[in-house]
Amino acid sequence: MDYLLHVMILALIYSVFAMSLNLELGYAGLYNFGHVAFFGIGAYVSALLSHAGVPVSAAMICALAAAGITGALLAVPALRVSGDYFGIATLVFAEMFRLVCLNERWLTKGPMGLPGIPRPAWIAPGVEGMPAYLLFAFLAAVGTFVFIRRLTGSPFGRALKVIREDEHMAQAFGKNILLFKVKAIVAGSVLAGWAGTLWAHYISYISPADFTLTETILVLLCVVLGGRGTNWGPVVGAIAVVFFGEAVRFLPIPPALTRYVAPLQGIIYGGILVVIMMKMPNGMIPEHRRKNT
Amino acid sequence: MSYYLQLLLNGVIAGSVYALFAVGLTLVYGVFRFINFAHAELISWGAYLTLMFSSPPVSWPLCLAVIPAVLLTAFIGFSQDWFIYRPLRRGSPITLLIASIGLSYMLRNVLRLIWGSDLMTFSLPLARGFEFSGYYVTGIQLLMLAAALLFLMILYLLLTKSLMGKSLRATADNLELAAIMGVSMPKVSAVVWTLASVFAAAGGILLALDTNLEPMMGVANLIKAFAAVLLGGAGNVWGALLGGLFIGIAENLGVAFFSPGYKDFVSFAVIFLLLLFRPRGIFGLLTGVR
Repeated sequence: MDYLLHVMILALIYSVFAMSLNLELGYAGLYNFGHVAFFGIGAYVSALLSHAGVPVSAAMICALAAAGITGALLAVPALRVSGDYFGIATLVFAEMFRLVCLNERWLTKGPMGLPGIPRPAWIAPGVEGMPAYLLFAFLAAVGTFVFIRRLTGSPFGRALKVIREDEHMAQAFGKNILLFKVKAIVAGSVLAGWAGTLWAHYISYISPADFTLTETILVLLCVVLGGRGTNWGPVVGAIAVVFFGEAVRFLPIPPALTRYVAPLQGIIYGGILVVIMMKMPNGMIPEHRRKNT
Repeated sequence: MSYYLQLLLNGVIAGSVYALFAVGLTLVYGVFRFINFAHAELISWGAYLTLMFSSPPVSWPLCLAVIPAVLLTAFIGFSQDWFIYRPLRRGSPITLLIASIGLSYMLRNVLRLIWGSDLMTFSLPLARGFEFSGYYVTGIQLLMLAAALLFLMILYLLLTKSLMGKSLRATADNLELAAIMGVSMPKVSAVVWTLASVFAAAGGILLALDTNLEPMMGVANLIKAFAAVLLGGAGNVWGALLGGLFIGIAENLGVAFFSPGYKDFVSFAVIFLLLLFRPRGIFGLLTGVR
């Protein structure tokens, strides 16, 4: 039962993370392959501040601000390039972030990571706190969902889609493209930081090994599997990916073969990513349903 | 002073191998206009397949084991293109990039499935380095330098002196126009993938001989190759070569000034700064072979 709670909390946190990426990748058409850095910034800032004695809620707010500011600082120069170059620039940014976490031992304790990150005061530590944390994560995910739905349904969201489809047209309508993109990235980064703090305070231990290329690939898989540019797509994708990942543990696998489980899972994730790109690039919930003509 | 010269020497050796990776990556980009992330896996598969053929049950001597390993890597390169990239070529470069990221992850996990995630080495006898008036190089490092020179020489002759090289350059310049003029696309694509795979595998094997094998070796070196490609301007073969040398030297000299933990930071910073300020590369050999 506790395990089921754990899986549900993970799925909720991952859906927040996937929704934040979808805002950039799905709605604005910005292929951010370094989104995990903002997840990591949220996690590290929040963990370090709460270790320093700041109340958890205040630490979380600071973490969101830090992620947002970093997002703006990255966005302004990185938006000079577009398409696949933007993807590489952000991917490299995430790797730089990870190297800094790995090397600045005085701050992050390097590869040892930060243990003992406290939960918010009203949630009990350990297993007793799990139902309360589930509620917290659920409220957080619903809040994110509602926020993104309102944002993307607003004129701002529609303008983002126009920019994604045709920049020149958006420009002709008098939209400041750079400003729109920067705003999308800042919003996406704040929400990714939000997912990061939720995760850090839940799992209570973080290290640079949690913010690698593998996480980028996983969250990318959540978004493209569920459906880019839709509200429910990333949620469905995240739930599918997390539940699939955890369900593998219940398969009757003899102990001698357990070392093969993780690579096999990786092969399947990578394979799904390739197959989606080839067979259903719009994911499980396509943005535009085919109309019967 | 001699300390810096030694670092410079190491840099040139490392850079010559990076150049091998970068040249293949840039050739593929030049012709097909997308960043093949799975190039990384050609590097590590070349090394791991050599390990497979040189260890029991096959136990061929190393120089013989290299041949089937390189051939199989080329086969992987072909299959990538044939089964995945060719059907996707009509889509956007982003679709291809995501597919190649997925493919890279898949191939990397196949490596882990077969050989595990631990560090592995070729069981080479310990060899003493050569000393040239105070500077040290190992036999393997000399081999790296020689092999890189040989491969790049072959590439130079192929691109500038043969008809195939001419059609390759024409395709890189304008794919549609080249096809209209009767350049055989299947042939060009076969040559590009063969070159990219063979260069990647050769570089991977050399690196593995010098250090060790691990599943992430491909990705780590791909990022350096990518920095080299950007330095030269994407699609520019000689630019990529110079870029590879530059990255190798910069990274090794950097060790003298900051903590070795940040060695990889050099290529990251180069990529980042170039993308932001000079996305066309600084070795602007616009008239050179693209």
